[in-house]
Amino acid sequence: MTTGNTTAAPRSRGVSLMRSVGWPRLRPVEMVVVCVLAGLLPFALTSSFWLGTLTLALIWMVLNMSWNLVLGYSGIWNFGQMAIYAIGGYAAALASERLSLPAPVGLLIGALAAMLVSIALAIPSLRLRGIYVSLLTFGFAEVIRLLIITDKSGITGGPFGIGDFAGFGLEAGTPETTRALYWIALVAVIGTAIVMYLIIRSPLGTGLMALRDNPALAAARGISPRRYQTVSFAISGFFAGLAGGLYAYTYGVISPSVMGLGPMTLLVTMLVVGGLGTQTGPIVGTLIITLVSTRLEPYPEARLILLSVVLLAIILVLPRGVVPVVGRLRLRLSSWVNAGTGGGTKKKRPPAKKRPPAKAEPPSAPDGG
Amino acid sequence: MTDVDLFLQTLVSTVTQGSILALISIGMTLVYGTLRVLNMAQGAMVMLGGFAAYTTLQVVSVPVWTTIIVAVLVTFVLGVLTYFIAVKPLLGRPGVDFEMTAFISTFAAATIIQNVCLLVFGPRQKPFDPVIPGLIEITGAVSITYHTLLMNVVAIGALVALGLFLSRSRYGLAITAVAQNLEAARLMGIPARRAYATTMGIAAALAGIGGVLLAPSYFVSPNAGDLPLLQSLIVVIFAGLGSVKGTIYAAYIIGFIQSAVSIYWGTAYALPVLYVVILVVLVIRPYGLAGKPQEARL
Repeated sequence: MTTGNTTAAPRSRGVSLMRSVGWPRLRPVEMVVVCVLAGLLPFALTSSFWLGTLTLALIWMVLNMSWNLVLGYSGIWNFGQMAIYAIGGYAAALASERLSLPAPVGLLIGALAAMLVSIALAIPSLRLRGIYVSLLTFGFAEVIRLLIITDKSGITGGPFGIGDFAGFGLEAGTPETTRALYWIALVAVIGTAIVMYLIIRSPLGTGLMALRDNPALAAARGISPRRYQTVSFAISGFFAGLAGGLYAYTYGVISPSVMGLGPMTLLVTMLVVGGLGTQTGPIVGTLIITLVSTRLEPYPEARLILLSVVLLAIILVLPRGVVPVVGRLRLRLSSWVNAGTGGGTKKKRPPAKKRPPAKAEPPSAPDGG
Repeated sequence: MTDVDLFLQTLVSTVTQGSILALISIGMTLVYGTLRVLNMAQGAMVMLGGFAAYTTLQVVSVPVWTTIIVAVLVTFVLGVLTYFIAVKPLLGRPGVDFEMTAFISTFAAATIIQNVCLLVFGPRQKPFDPVIPGLIEITGAVSITYHTLLMNVVAIGALVALGLFLSRSRYGLAITAVAQNLEAARLMGIPARRAYATTMGIAAALAGIGGVLLAPSYFVSPNAGDLPLLQSLIVVIFAGLGSVKGTIYAAYIIGFIQSAVSIYWGTAYALPVLYVVILVVLVIRPYGLAGKPQEARL
């Protein structure tokens, strides 16, 4: 496998191989700075409205990162993620409402329930290819939504959802609570990002990308499509369920309105704008779109129109999202700086420019951690 | 109601639902067969057909059936427009998964259309009179409205016309040729891109007719296209994308399951049962009833 080659090869060759394989490079200094700044933000930001908005953005980041693993890295057209997310939220809410379990256990139950449903969804989905998977998963999500809306047994509360549970057990509305919720979500985002990074760097991640880019060759090299992709569904479902539980506990309510076409449009827009199949894409995209959509909040009728126009424009102009473009510009800048300082030594052109982008090109080459 | 009545009602409902579903899903399968695009804007076109007819009736007093013509024109133009805005710029782009990006871009186009309608007409459901009022009683409990009859006649008529168009006319043959083999069609000098635009327009127009026919029973509202979209997605998966004949069979089978479940068990169970059915079909036959395994294109 490729991992064996990298450790055996000299350091520089290893790095260039890493880039060409499409592994994200770690930028430890920048990442620590961003995390510390994000952690200190509640002290600088006094508006509890914006802090609440950012908390929601952080929850969506967890969901988008989980979705990105299946949609971006594995290339499986799973459009049922919103249902998995809602199931995680409902399971966590029920654990808190019916069993009055403490919040960490409730979140874990939500995540595990979502993981099981995700594996169950993976079994029929992975028999299919491309567009059929999207039809099946989209239909699955709609049916789950309709089942919850028409549920009269009183377990899910039908269209009104569940609203009467302890959640994190924090006092509602105080500035301290707002901050605490923000930090909890931030910890979840950092944790998810680390796990996703480790997965993508592991043989599992390499295998998933190989299966996406050339299924026949990857399978011939001994990567079992069904096993690898089921694992990716399971991990993705776990984190989507975690995001759902976080949503339920943060807002003290979970209802069928968290899924459906409207929210899905918003989240797909975030993923596409940020860049599918990149590490930072979901984070950047979520941040951009949340800020834009919050700014448009006073104009609810125009909001979805404008967001869809953004989605359409991005997919037509930058089909691979903002992050790869920024990464390429940065690479060009650094090679230009190197060319200046290194005197006349001709630097090789950035790999993203050099390689003709074939269908199988790893989309995350110039991406930061 | 007696068993006979229930059976008759199921039969009537099956034929009606099946015809309308066939009308809407044929558009999707046609677009997929020619362009390899899963057109998520089909539901929006159903909704637009209803709104075009409704607006016409608000502005001028004409017989209700003429609104079908208006709906066809409006949706045809918007379908062609969707092609030029959302699909054409993606054709032949290197390094991009065309099917995935086109799926998302048509989805974005559908959201735009739907929300513009929401902005212009508001969220309220608008009532819409049946195209022809009145009904025929078969037995004491079962009756067929003239509108239902008309729905069947128009839907089946449109399907026959489409079949003749595809197999007899010059443009229709171009579409068929492109769907069968893109390379060969190009080598024969068929302008593939023009066939793409016509296909998207025709698909949208079929959905528009469906929208007018459905308007009296589902009302006219910005969300009116969601359920037809979901149902026709189920039909096209069940049939196998790209197969016209399979889609017609599948539409009537799905129509039957849906009517039978709604009448015997209740409407709430219709979609979940349908979902279980397609789940089983897909697990046994991953490419639907009549579909072929996909090959990469474009």
